[in-house]
Amino acid sequence: MTEARERAAARPHDRDERWRSDFPYDWEADASVSRRDLLRLAVITSGALFAGTLLLSLLGRRDDRRRGSPRAIPGAAALPAGEALYFKYPGEDDQAVLLNIEGTGFVAYSQKCTHLSCSVYYRAEKGELICPCHDGKFDPRTGEPTAGPPQRRLPRITLEQRGGELFAIEEAP
Amino acid sequence: MSAGPSPDGRYVRVPAASRRDRPVPGREALLLGALAFGLMMLAIQLWLLTVALELYLAGDGERVWGLAVGSGCVFVGGLIAVWLLSRRPRIGA
Ligand code: FES
Repeated sequence: MTEARERAAARPHDRDERWRSDFPYDWEADASVSRRDLLRLAVITSGALFAGTLLLSLLGRRDDRRRGSPRAIPGAAALPAGEALYFKYPGEDDQAVLLNIEGTGFVAYSQKCTHLSCSVYYRAEKGELICPCHDGKFDPRTGEPTAGPPQRRLPRITLEQRGGELFAIEEAP
Repeated sequence: MSAGPSPDGRYVRVPAASRRDRPVPGREALLLGALAFGLMMLAIQLWLLTVALELYLAGDGERVWGLAVGSGCVFVGGLIAVWLLSRRPRIGA
């Protein structure tokens, strides 16, 4: 065998040795320590998940998610059965829809779709609240989703009849 | 053996303390089992959190506390498991 060949045969071993000296490590100790560390990390993650759930439960107990103050809805009294009226509530930039449903009476919802916040509108001929963005549908009587991606009901606006006028009282999720 | 580089300077010796921390034979399996069970519990906790978020956004926030109690039980269980596993059994006592 020539000298060059001998050198070539020895090269992989050299490389391995160089690698070991560059990154010295006790692999045996590594296996057992990392499992224990992983267990600790899992408990820390568990604590974080618990903290998140606890935070949501505390936030859910607060009542400040109801919005708006009593305001008359102009033109509501003249709304015929089976028709919809769009109005602004609770703020001037918030859109809402009032429905006069046969057999149920007046109901009102925020127009903000619970999927990705597109504007929901009422399709009278089908008797459905429709979101055009992804074909979401809501039951006009309850505001519950009936088709498409939305999973939560529309925020409901409570109504009150005061001296011949219909008032929006507040919006609740 | 003490901590520090080996005489030829190429390997780092593991400090004596971490060698002591190595589980005794048979405990590795226990640790692995606890880890597998713990990861399963983490998945359940993650699911509880998503249900809680869903309820919160839907305005049913009052019902979330039950989920928080469940998640808390898993967390406390994890703490107890870590405490139990970090105790070294007395061998041959
Ligand atoms: S935004 Fe309404 S269905 Fe997607």
